[in-house]
Amino acid sequence: MLGSRQAAFEAAVGDCLEDLYRYAYWLCRDRWQAEDLAQETVLRAWRGWPGLREHRAVKGWLFTILYREFARGTGRRRLHVVPDDELHIEPQDHADPALAIDVDRALRALGEESRHALLMQVLGGFSCAEIASALGASEGAVMTRLTRARQALRRTLQPDAGREAKEG
Amino acid sequence: MNCLEFRRVALAEPRRLEAEAARHAEQCDACKEFLVRALEDEARLARALRVRAPEGLRARLLDRTAAARRSRGILALAASLLAAVAIALVLAWPRNDPLALAGIDFVVFEEAQAILEAKPADPGELRRVAAQLGVALPAQLGELRYIGPCPFQGSTGQHAVVKTAFGKATLMLLPDRPLASRAVASAHGLEAVVVPAAGGSVAIISGSSRSLEHIEMLLKSS
Repeated sequence: MLGSRQAAFEAAVGDCLEDLYRYAYWLCRDRWQAEDLAQETVLRAWRGWPGLREHRAVKGWLFTILYREFARGTGRRRLHVVPDDELHIEPQDHADPALAIDVDRALRALGEESRHALLMQVLGGFSCAEIASALGASEGAVMTRLTRARQALRRTLQPDAGREAKEG
Repeated sequence: MNCLEFRRVALAEPRRLEAEAARHAEQCDACKEFLVRALEDEARLARALRVRAPEGLRARLLDRTAAARRSRGILALAASLLAAVAIALVLAWPRNDPLALAGIDFVVFEEAQAILEAKPADPGELRRVAAQLGVALPAQLGELRYIGPCPFQGSTGQHAVVKTAFGKATLMLLPDRPLASRAVASAHGLEAVVVPAAGGSVAIISGSSRSLEHIEMLLKSS
């Protein structure tokens, strides 16, 4: 009984773990803390697994748990998040370290809520409505955050783009 | 949908354009170009965020979860065993029998007054009640210091205070209180044993457990 439950759980969460880790990584900006955070998330997910009604929505559920764990961890100062003004990109972790440095800088310039929303959408593939539900915000507010976040990213990554967008 | 609305939607969810927005992009070259660039930016962003996951991440996360689950299972089992032992101890612990406890209360709260108010007693009455109960009161019990009737829980028994080799003890012969099995209680520094007798029971109350055992043994062997 427990074995089949475990097998079902592993099959459902197994494919999401790398994206879950990536989400944790960009929240903490540290690979060790990211793995700890992903671990805590999977443990909590296992405990909550019997109560999950919609097993197809497991990725969103995992991301939501991780986001809450992250918020709890930083609130209790259990998690040490690399300060925004510190460069913390390790080249071996990235296929394109130069791009990663630019994106890291651009993400740090965003507000925390916009950053969460953007990471959830790009890494998790969630819709505005799903992100709104996970973050406890309205769908309109999430749309606004994502629009502004992408505009800001464009300005940072392609300085000409912001001007073009305005002119367009 | 106008161009401003389109760009807002395209920046909010570039990979999930609604039909209306897609139609607008087909009709508006500037917005089509905007969308192409938005999708290119999105692809670059996604590529940059695809940080390499550590080697063996999946196995580690799932194995540690299984290990934590097992240790939680062991803890839960230990907690269940502990609870079972605690319940067994509570159940096995000798509980105060109400009748034996009433005997102790009589000694603590009423005996002194009973002795003070006692009229000259008839030893024959004590022997008669003892015989009625099928018990003998051998001389080895000790020195009888007091004999008298005692009101006890709505009926009257015979009350005797005995000085044994191990200390003072009170006997209560209770002809109207039949008992199925031996009962015990402990309170106020006193212990009580009530033993079944023919047509009633005998309560023995003492501060000394040896005195109690001595009297109980003599009554049983009589």
